[in-house]
Amino acid sequence: MDCNHYSFSWLAVTNGTDLVTLLQFPFMQRAIAGAVLMGLLGGLLGSFVTLRELSFFSHAVGHAALVGVALGVLLQLNPTVMLLPFTLVFGLVVLYLIDQTDLASDSILSIVLSGALAIGVLLTSLLPGYRGNLMGVLFGDVLAINVTDLILTLLVLIGSSIFLLSTLRQQILLTLNPDVAQVQGIPVQLYRYAFVVLLSLAVAVAIKAVGVLLVNAFLVIPASTAKLLNHQFAHFLATSVILGAVSSIAGMIISGLFNFASGPSIVLFQFLLFLVVFTWVNAVSTFSKRMR
Amino acid sequence: MTPEIPKTQYPAHNTQHPILNVEGLTVYRNSYLAIRDVSFELLPGTDTAVVGPNGAGKSTLIQAILNLIPRTGGKIEIFGRPVERLGHLCHQLGYVPQNFIFDRSFPISVAELVGLGWVKRQAGGERIGQAAIAQALRRVGAYQLRNQVIGTLSGGELKRVLLAYCIVMPRKFLLLDEAFAGVDIQGAADFYALLNQLKREEDWTVLQISHDIDMVSRHCDRVLCLNQTVVCTGTPDIALSPQNLLATYGPAFSRYHHHH
Repeated sequence: MDCNHYSFSWLAVTNGTDLVTLLQFPFMQRAIAGAVLMGLLGGLLGSFVTLRELSFFSHAVGHAALVGVALGVLLQLNPTVMLLPFTLVFGLVVLYLIDQTDLASDSILSIVLSGALAIGVLLTSLLPGYRGNLMGVLFGDVLAINVTDLILTLLVLIGSSIFLLSTLRQQILLTLNPDVAQVQGIPVQLYRYAFVVLLSLAVAVAIKAVGVLLVNAFLVIPASTAKLLNHQFAHFLATSVILGAVSSIAGMIISGLFNFASGPSIVLFQFLLFLVVFTWVNAVSTFSKRMR
Repeated sequence: MTPEIPKTQYPAHNTQHPILNVEGLTVYRNSYLAIRDVSFELLPGTDTAVVGPNGAGKSTLIQAILNLIPRTGGKIEIFGRPVERLGHLCHQLGYVPQNFIFDRSFPISVAELVGLGWVKRQAGGERIGQAAIAQALRRVGAYQLRNQVIGTLSGGELKRVLLAYCIVMPRKFLLLDEAFAGVDIQGAADFYALLNQLKREEDWTVLQISHDIDMVSRHCDRVLCLNQTVVCTGTPDIALSPQNLLATYGPAFSRYHHHH
């Protein structure tokens, strides 16, 4: 944390020359690289998350990560090491529960989200002197990204890209209609669970940087913006990935210029971009309707 | 009153093995009996319609045939193989469920959707695929829609595109769950003409659920009247006789028929 306070004081710069100086610091380079990797990963997975109505799912997995972090500290393990298997198992169990009951999936997700949050907060309160870090888990710190985090994020990105792009048509069909996909011999259940594994891992590797509360923005906002702009799946997927990366770079610059926290700056940029595109698309469609 | 079940007459050249063989199929859905002891077979190059009232188990029948829902009893063979072990033969199946698309805002163009039916490994490379997509869309009269996003299509246009999805690759067996519901009269006539062509020229076999008794009696080779179990089966003139319709749909249907 000391290191971060130091870096935050360096962020109190507002002119371009200082921004360039700032970019020469290794922690800043790691932060930008990490943010871009997470933007790419969020855009890629997010395009399927939004279409498969899994956005609430990743939100719940993110909150469960709080329990993972608290458990890690309590058992005196590295929280990051604890986080990966914890979110992974949590994601799989929740998907299994959704498959096994007749309850609506948003109800199940609300239940496990609330439960995880309650357990996480209570566990955190058992840790003397740790409570200050609750904010860190909730909102993350992009500037605290280390080389291990970068490698983990890169691995999840490579794994996700190989899995989704090599089976792209099957993934699209599965998203459109699981029954038809199954008739065409697509291993529907295997692919669904594999996707949830990747999604849970992506959430886990992003939490340190952007926190429990904002991690979902990376999955939902760029993909939703891309959805407004595209009528073809291939273009939609590419736009979503590009917007994810662009938002991360722009957000980091904003955070440097205005001395804002990095995670919220990225999400703010994603949000503003969405608003602009939303307004633009609606204006164009209203205009073309009037012209007819 | 049990109506007589007429023996089905097949054209003389159809001496091949059945495309589909269903024996003693029984399915429970959430602990209530949906269909019981259904047995029938389909020969290659035939178009069979399943008719029956709502809740008769028509969609259940097709889903059970495709092994999408578990069955309590019975045997299902497609292309002479147990449905669980179709392997690569599954690419010979085309299935259009009642609601193919849940999310109308899905960002996918008509050509991309049709292209999903194209299995590269089975049918050839990318360029042949593009040509096949164009041809399939032309055959269903939807080529002009190829660049549109699916959300902008009307109900009837969407049905055409889904049929194009099925025929983009040569297949053997089409299962259509109310594929023509919501299509206008001319559209339905076009559909049946196309199915007829696929059947005659390319030996496709069709099993379809339909509520349009008139269209079924005019275009299908066989009718299977279903109401939890097979009430009767045979050529349309026999299976759709007033007596059999009464047995399938109950008294409400005959009243409906007399009034209209």
